[in-house]
Amino acid sequence: MKLKKKTRLIKKTSKTFLLTGLVLAVLSSIALYFYTKGLLQDQEEESLYSTEARVVNALKNDQTVLSFPPVTEIKKVQHIRPEILKDTIIYDPSQDEMEEFRELSTYKKINGQTYQITVRYLVVESKDILIAIVFSNIAIFVLAFLFLFYFNTTKNIKLWSPFFKNLEQMKKFSLSSNEELQLVDSDVLEFSELKEEILLLTSKVRNDYEKLKQFTEDVSHEMQTPLAIIQAKIDNIINDHSINDKQFSQVSSIQKDIQRLKHLNHRITLLTKIDNNQFIRVEEVNITKLLEEKIENFKELEIDYISLSSKNDLIASMDVYLADILINNLISNAIKHSSQEKNISIISENKTLIISNYGQKALQHPEMLFLRFYREVNSMQSSGLGLAIVKKICDLYNFDLSYNFSENQHSFTVVFK
Amino acid sequence: MKYLIAEDEIDLQQSIVTYLERDGNLCEVASNFDDASEKVALYDYDVIILDINLISGSGLEILKAIKKEKKNVGVIIISANNSLKDKLEGLDLGADDYITKPFHLAELNARINAVLRRGKYGGDELIEFNELKIDTRSRTAYMDGNALALTKKEFDLLVFFVSNKGRVLSKEIIAEHLWGDDSDLLDNFDFIYVHINNLRKKLTSEGAKYIKTAYGSGYKFIAD
Repeated sequence: MKLKKKTRLIKKTSKTFLLTGLVLAVLSSIALYFYTKGLLQDQEEESLYSTEARVVNALKNDQTVLSFPPVTEIKKVQHIRPEILKDTIIYDPSQDEMEEFRELSTYKKINGQTYQITVRYLVVESKDILIAIVFSNIAIFVLAFLFLFYFNTTKNIKLWSPFFKNLEQMKKFSLSSNEELQLVDSDVLEFSELKEEILLLTSKVRNDYEKLKQFTEDVSHEMQTPLAIIQAKIDNIINDHSINDKQFSQVSSIQKDIQRLKHLNHRITLLTKIDNNQFIRVEEVNITKLLEEKIENFKELEIDYISLSSKNDLIASMDVYLADILINNLISNAIKHSSQEKNISIISENKTLIISNYGQKALQHPEMLFLRFYREVNSMQSSGLGLAIVKKICDLYNFDLSYNFSENQHSFTVVFK
Repeated sequence: MKYLIAEDEIDLQQSIVTYLERDGNLCEVASNFDDASEKVALYDYDVIILDINLISGSGLEILKAIKKEKKNVGVIIISANNSLKDKLEGLDLGADDYITKPFHLAELNARINAVLRRGKYGGDELIEFNELKIDTRSRTAYMDGNALALTKKEFDLLVFFVSNKGRVLSKEIIAEHLWGDDSDLLDNFDFIYVHINNLRKKLTSEGAKYIKTAYGSGYKFIAD
C-alpha cells in the first residue's frame, strides 16, 4: 500500500476553507456578472426602444426630427428591412475616439415614406457599472474570508490544543521509562474521552510489557538450575569408566548445546537488564584502548586478522561493562561472518567507530538485522541476539548505529556521543 | 579435605558430591537454609559451596554468619543469577569465589583447589604432583627444579589439568575454562589440540607423560 501524503490538521482545514472561499467567490462573481449584465442589457434595450418609439411618434406627427449622430440617426430609404439589434463600435466625435455602442436599427413606413431609424446607447457606462459591481463583490468576499480564516484558525488552534498537547506527550511515550504521561484534560467530551482511553491503553501496554519482561527473566533464570544439573551429570558420566568413545563424543556434543543455552540465557538476561535500566553507572570509557585489548584477546583464539586504525583515542560516556559487550558483540559478529576472507578492519576516529568485514553480497534484509533472533544465514554459532544487544546498548545511550554494504564490505558504524 | 555442599537441588548436590568424593574428599550436604546454618555453626570445613538461592533463605545470610564468626573457611558461591551486582555483593561479603549456573564440575573443582591453595599456603601458592611443582603466584612450573617455558595459556591449562587430575576433560570443558564466553566464537576446537600438544611436548621432553588421550577426543592428566 502506498502511503498517502500527510497534511497537518490545521493546514488541512485552512486549505479546505480557503478553497471553498475561492470557489464561492469565483462562482458568485460569475453569476453576478451574467445577472447584472443581463439586467443592464434589458435596461439599454428598453431605453433604445422607447427612444425609437418617440422618434416614430414625432415623425408620425410630421415634426421634424433632427439626427444626433451617433445617438440618433434618421435616414430615408427605399426598402423595409428586418429590425437589427447589435453591438457596434463607431467614432464618437464628442469624445474623439472609437466607442462601443448598442445599436437598434428599425425600418418604418411613416406617412408613405420609409425611414431607417437608428438609435444607439453608449455601453461604456454600463460596462463600468458591471465591473464595479463584480469587483466589489470579490473584494467583500476576500475580506470576509480573510477575517473568517483568521478567526477560524485561531479558534481551531485553541480548540485542538489539548489534542496536540496530548499527541506530543504520546510521542514521548516509552515502554522502558516509568514516567507517567502528563495528559491535559479538555471540556470537549471527545478529547476528554480520548485522554481517558490513552491513559487506559498505555497503562495496560506497560503492564503487559512488565509482565512479559518479568516472565522472560524468570524463564531464563529458572532454566539455569536444570541446565546446571544436566551439565553436572554429564561431567560425572564422562568420568565413568563404563562408556565408550562414541558415547563420549555424543555426551560432549550435549555439553556444547548446554553451552549454547547458557549463552542464550545470558543474553536474554542482559537485554532485560538493559530494559530495566540496571546500568546507571556512566563513566568515560576509552573505546580505543578497549579495542586494543579485545584484539589481543582474540589473538589467543588464533583470530589474528583484525586490524585497528586509530588517530586519536575514542572516548565514550557509558557503562564499562556495556562498552565491553558492545565492542565484543560487534567484533564477534564480524568474526562469525569472516569464513570466506579473513580480514576485519576497525577504524576509530573522534566519536565514530567502523567495523568492517568481507562479504560477497549485501544482506537481503538489512532492516531486520537488529531484530532479536533474526539470522541472515542459519548458523549454529549465532544466538541471534548479539546485534540486538548492540542495538539496545546504542539506543540506551542515543548512539547512532548503522549498517551498510559497499565494495564487498559489511560495515557497522557507531557514532558515540 | 572436608567440604559442605549447601544446595537445595538434590540432583545437582549429589552430582557435586560424586565428583568431589573421587579424590577421597569428605562431603557433607545441606539441602535447605536451616540445615546449612546449623552445619556451618557446628562443624569446621575446608571449603563451603553455597547456593545463594536456598529454598528457605539466602545463602548470603549464611555467608555473613560465617564471616562474623571469623571461621577460617573458603566459600564458593553458586548462583543461577549472572548479575554483576550479586557477584560483587557476594565477594564483598567475603566469599572467595563466585560461579554461575550452569558450570562444569571440573571448573568448580579447579576453583575449590585455587581457594584451598590460597588459604593453606598463604604466600606460596604451590601445587605439587610427583616431580612437578607449580607456583601459581609467580606463574611458573618446575620439573625436578627446572623451570618450564610455558605460555600463559599452557600454564592455565596445566593448572586446570592438575586440579582435575585423573578426570576426563572434554575439549568443551577445556575451551570454556580457557576462553570463557568467547569459546563459542570458534568454528571448531582444533586449535585446542595445538595448545595441548605444545604443553604435552614440553612435559614429555622432561620425561613426564602425564597428559593422556581419553575416548579419542578427551584428555586425562594422570601419573604413569
